[in-house]
Amino acid sequence: MIQEAVEIKALTKVFGQGENAVKAFGPSDLDINEGEFISLLGPSGCGKSTLLLMVAGLLESSSGSVKLKGTSVTGPRTDIGIMFQDNTLVPWRTVRGNIELQLELRGLNVDDYSERIDTLLQQVSLSEFSQNAPYELSGGMQQRAAFCQALIHEPDTLLLDEPLGKLDAMTREVIRRDLQTLWMQKKQTVMLVTHSIEEAVQLSNRVVVISPRPGVIDQIFEIDLPWPRDLEVKNSPAFSEYVMQIQRIFQNYGVL
Amino acid sequence: MITKAIAFVWNWIKQSWMFLCFFAGFFLFWQYSIDWFDIPRYILPKPTEIITKSSADLDKLLYYTWVTGSESVLGYVIAIIVAVPLGLAIAFSTILRRTIYPFFVSIEMIPKIAFAPLFISWLGFGLLPKVIIVFLVCFFPIVLNAILAFGSLGEELTRFCAATGASKKDAFFKVRLPAALPQCFVGFKYAAINATVGATIAEFIGSDQGLGFYIQIVTGNMRPDLAFAGIFFLTLLGLSLFGLVTLAERLLIPWHISQRRH
Ligand SMILES: Nc1ncnc2c1ncn2[C@@H]1O[C@H](COP(=O)(O)OP(=O)(O)OP(=O)(O)O)[C@@H](O)[C@H]1O
Ligand SMILES: [Mg+2]
Repeated sequence: MIQEAVEIKALTKVFGQGENAVKAFGPSDLDINEGEFISLLGPSGCGKSTLLLMVAGLLESSSGSVKLKGTSVTGPRTDIGIMFQDNTLVPWRTVRGNIELQLELRGLNVDDYSERIDTLLQQVSLSEFSQNAPYELSGGMQQRAAFCQALIHEPDTLLLDEPLGKLDAMTREVIRRDLQTLWMQKKQTVMLVTHSIEEAVQLSNRVVVISPRPGVIDQIFEIDLPWPRDLEVKNSPAFSEYVMQIQRIFQNYGVL
Repeated sequence: MITKAIAFVWNWIKQSWMFLCFFAGFFLFWQYSIDWFDIPRYILPKPTEIITKSSADLDKLLYYTWVTGSESVLGYVIAIIVAVPLGLAIAFSTILRRTIYPFFVSIEMIPKIAFAPLFISWLGFGLLPKVIIVFLVCFFPIVLNAILAFGSLGEELTRFCAATGASKKDAFFKVRLPAALPQCFVGFKYAAINATVGATIAEFIGSDQGLGFYIQIVTGNMRPDLAFAGIFFLTLLGLSLFGLVTLAERLLIPWHISQRRH
């Protein structure tokens, strides 16, 4: 039996109290298998980031529960990799230094990871910029650097909040492919927040659609397409069918 | 090295020639308008007269610059040493933030310089009351900015630290402290301007040496030329202190937006 990597039960988040209370998420349930790639798709403000933060234990839920790899999430979980919506690159360190910051804060030996940093930087085509400051990079390059920062300690669970949001269409395509290759090699459990339906369908085992506010999990699509999902698969009628199905939901929400 | 220096100066001149022209024009206007408008010398002397007449007092002026300078620097440095750790403590302690912080904010409303006569009467004409007054005018901007600096780490970076399980010490030295430096320097720079002002006023009120004392005495003797010389040295002092702090800022946080060159 496949172990459940993430178990979300009747999870809700309400910000504020009384009159001013804002329902940000839920109540919703979701189980994610180990090694599964899940995409969270939903209109802006529906609570995707909120959900991710609750899974990571960085935001207290209002009710319900989250279990990660069999244990309840009660505080910040360090056994995962999380990439935040706003990047966490600090301006006083170089790109490489920022990746090393993740290791240093975890008390890991930076030298042991030296080669892995090189490989990762190469994969996202940032090798030449490893000694540059983040503010010397374009928005998309910064996001690629933040991606390396979130991945460097080889977590088996990845929470990615719009990691490809600021990239141009072409780089996006390349990084998607790399993300898929990476995942196919290591089979991490991934929760990816995205605004792109194509991206969700291309990368995921299942696409989770969250309704507009109040955000609850509305529908879940099993994406039954062959791996790797290269251009050929993307151009297939089956792929387009999934995309259209999901588009229709958003049309019904009135956001498309 | 030398060519680099020349290039630097040349660049500076190219960038600020308008300001330099204005500056020169201002002094030329001053110089000649004294004759044009027939202004008596005991009201306003010519710039050239200020230079020639005050040169006899140069030794005294330099010594007094040293006196006022030590008062300012001592009070300033002590203010930094006390205010930064205190600001840190207040930022991290809920109890202190609810008690001392509002107290400081209300004291900030009082013009601290109003205490100067009291300190002089309690402690006499020596160095100590001046250092205390400089300390007072420097302390509050530094501590309030330090509280702001250490208390306002971005949500995302706070979460990043939590997600790595970083020790308090690592999170502080590798993230919180560097992130707080720019806001701290806002306080340091503001206080650096206050420091010489505080020392000068303290000397006006009661002292037997220093540039404030000198300016007061020579003004009483109808010697505005010497008073302007005193003001010149005070300006020099203030600029040097501010320049040093700005240099420190440039060295410590070259990565900050305010320091980047475009
Ligand atoms: N700290 C907070 N205090 C109050 N309300 C909040 C807070 N954080 C988020 N919210 C509210 O919760 C809701 C969900 O926010 P969240 O950031 O999770 O949305 P999202 O789906 O990630 O949106 P986007 O796609 O734009 O990133 C929003 O309506 C937002 O206004
Ligand atoms: Mg979000």
